[in-house]
Amino acid sequence: MQVIPQLLVSTILLGGIYALIAVGLTLIFGVMRVVNFAHGEFLMLGMYLAFWAFALLHLDPYATLVLALPVVFAAGWASYRLVMRPVIHASHNVQVFTTVGLSIALQNLALVLWTADSHFVRTSYYAVVVRLGPAVLNLAQAAAFAVAVLATAALFAFMRWSYTGKVMRATAQDRQAASLMGIDTGRVFALTWAVGVTCVGVAGILLAPIYPVYPTVGLQFVLIAYVTVVLGGLGEMAGAVVASLIVAAVEVIGSYTVGTAWKEALYLVLFIAILLLRPAGLFGQRGAETVGA
Amino acid sequence: MSGATAPAVAFFALAALAPVVVRDAFLLDGLVLILLWGSVAAAWNVAGGYAGQVSLGHSVFFGLGAYSAALLGTRWGLSPWIGLAVGAVLAIAVGFVIGFLSNRLRGPYFVLATIAFSQVLLIVASRWRAFTSGSEGIAVPFRPGFWTLGIADKRVWVYLILALAVGVYLVQLYLERSRRGYQLAAVREDEDAALSLGVPARRLKVAAIAVSAALTAACGALWAQYVGFVDPFYVFSVDLSVRFALGAVLGGIGTALGPFVGAALVTTLETYLRARFGGIGAGLVGIYLIIYGVALIAIVRFAPQGLVPWLGARWRRPAAGTAR
Amino acid sequence: MAGRAVAPARGGHRAVSLLSVAGVTKRFGGITANREIAFDVAAGELVGVIGPNGSGKSTLFEVISGFYHPDEGEVRLDGHRLTGLSPDRVCRLGVARTFQKLRPFAGLTVVDNIMVGALTRTRDVRHARERARALLERVGLGDKAEAHAGTLSTGQRKRLELARALATEPRVLLLDEVTGGVDQRTIPGLVQLVRELHAGGLTLIVIEHNMRVITAVAQRIVALYLGEKIADGPPDAVTRDRRVVEAYLGQAYAAPAPAP
Repeated sequence: MQVIPQLLVSTILLGGIYALIAVGLTLIFGVMRVVNFAHGEFLMLGMYLAFWAFALLHLDPYATLVLALPVVFAAGWASYRLVMRPVIHASHNVQVFTTVGLSIALQNLALVLWTADSHFVRTSYYAVVVRLGPAVLNLAQAAAFAVAVLATAALFAFMRWSYTGKVMRATAQDRQAASLMGIDTGRVFALTWAVGVTCVGVAGILLAPIYPVYPTVGLQFVLIAYVTVVLGGLGEMAGAVVASLIVAAVEVIGSYTVGTAWKEALYLVLFIAILLLRPAGLFGQRGAETVGA
Repeated sequence: MSGATAPAVAFFALAALAPVVVRDAFLLDGLVLILLWGSVAAAWNVAGGYAGQVSLGHSVFFGLGAYSAALLGTRWGLSPWIGLAVGAVLAIAVGFVIGFLSNRLRGPYFVLATIAFSQVLLIVASRWRAFTSGSEGIAVPFRPGFWTLGIADKRVWVYLILALAVGVYLVQLYLERSRRGYQLAAVREDEDAALSLGVPARRLKVAAIAVSAALTAACGALWAQYVGFVDPFYVFSVDLSVRFALGAVLGGIGTALGPFVGAALVTTLETYLRARFGGIGAGLVGIYLIIYGVALIAIVRFAPQGLVPWLGARWRRPAAGTAR
Repeated sequence: MAGRAVAPARGGHRAVSLLSVAGVTKRFGGITANREIAFDVAAGELVGVIGPNGSGKSTLFEVISGFYHPDEGEVRLDGHRLTGLSPDRVCRLGVARTFQKLRPFAGLTVVDNIMVGALTRTRDVRHARERARALLERVGLGDKAEAHAGTLSTGQRKRLELARALATEPRVLLLDEVTGGVDQRTIPGLVQLVRELHAGGLTLIVIEHNMRVITAVAQRIVALYLGEKIADGPPDAVTRDRRVVEAYLGQAYAAPAPAP
């Protein structure tokens, strides 16, 4: 019984981070109908950004977050113009291979530039713990969670109330109609991609003080992200948040019961179960999976 | 499509001739790998190219073949040929499940499903210490003899894998020219229109995936015997799955020779870079992977049909009346 | 109209019914696209299906050809139940169709397109190719055999789609808007083709918006409106039927001049 509050706290902290990663991925799919197979690599780049800023400039990751936000956004925009824009109207398979190619290129760029060694961002507060009743939280994790929640909330507010957000949602619902209404769908796609990449890049910066940084770190997170977005319904942002908590719960409870070795198997089995039983996810429209891209 | 057989004959003839002329073990090894990766890319092509079911989880079949051969050999002393057969059967079973999913899921959902399958098996293989020796992998024992595939002479391996390669090539050719081939092409183009013409699209897709699975597993089993070691993190990896697809996409998805050409390019570059930079900075070896990534992006954008058709179009003078 | 051996059936009661649609109802959420649609088609008949947009014509075709399963009712071909079967099974049993939004296999050549249909009836690729070439000539696309289907004009695509469906040797052919989207000059040729097919004994059900065309070729017309059948009879009777006139043709419609 004592352990339940701890599990709960761990779930929420983890879920918050996963939500930020997943929300960017599902946004990109919702508006552009593209699954970004390079999503994990942008996370990895965010982590490396935080690391190098810390190692070379002695910047705390949270300072990096604020200062580098425009850089991350610009990098996202640039990657859209360079890589995605030429294939945005191409077949679904072409898009899959494009993001897969990007993923390979980025992973190995990091490998070549920075070697396979793991790096750590050891901030001064890295080992500080906070007590919350019977549960114990790592301060870095808690701070990461807080910022992640803020960022996600800001994104939701933006999508809900800003004009641009509405434009993006309109494009997600019906690309052709949006275009006929005078919406520059090209710009919407660029913006969506940049926002999605920024979300996951920010998540990377937030994760740097908590996890080791190495070129293939994106892989494990992105797999979780795939499970999350499918569970929540591809393109459904609120669904992604709810699903993040569920996936985090599965992971936390799984770690506790069957150990960390098999916990990955748990959410993969969950993933396959969803795809077999209800591919559209919790919040997705029934039958969305038969339409695909 | 006609006229494409001449380059293929040349390719395979060259491969057959090479061991007669070349003695260098390193070069022969390179040739074996080119033919092996070509075969597996071609096996992928059966599902991904001819049936249009792009999967990034084919390593699940490769790994099943590799592990079957390795496990049956180390635990029960069975011939790797039996391991190959068992692996193929297991792969077909998994292939049926994935085939079933291919009829229910389209687009990105299907791709993600295939990835999930390979990752589940990766975890099972790397954690089930009792059965698979877990993350340590399995060292395949070398027992001399053909029945045990304990062959030291690289030249024999060349001919063995060449036979496999020609076999997979012929399977693809059959898919191009046979009744099923035409039907699959229709399914690829427009599944509903194909259904309206009486094409049993769902059954065909499942069958194509199953055939692809069996062939991939066979490649995995032979590879395990050749390389001598099965590492779960490698044989079930997403990277490997992407590599299969890469060969086919680069060379010519949906053509019979394309995957071999694509795999040959990929393997040659990799082997060269490994040899050149292997010792010094293992990181530098990663350059070939960056090149793959960029090549993949470039090919699907500029020549989505792949290199072989692209070159073919440039070779031939455009015939009057046929617009592309 | 020479060559027609079977007398036109009224409502299908007297003649042998080849295709029968009985009580077909299809709902999509809150919308009832087809409500209790029932009619029979005798062997060798050419039945036209008319109705304004949204009346359920295309849905009906989707149901007959097996792409949709109706919520109620059934479709039978020569007594065999078609409802619940997959579209490819329906085709193999003898019902072929064309699509309103043309769907050629753009990456394949014209002859390959037709071969796909032919291969449903024969396993031999060479034989299928011969049949395909013969059908190409039949529909007037003989010189386009090796062209890629994506390069054809709309009129040519219509002929291709027709030839492809014919290659499956159907007993009943569903034509969805064969004259839609083509310019005026091409229409007579297509109409003539349809007439010839009918004269050859083929049973046809034709969705058509062009009233001149349909009244000229159809022996019988079924009119749909808002998912229901509102008329079923010879062209003159249907076009003068008060409900049809009000629903579809407008109050001041007069019978059209005979088609060329």
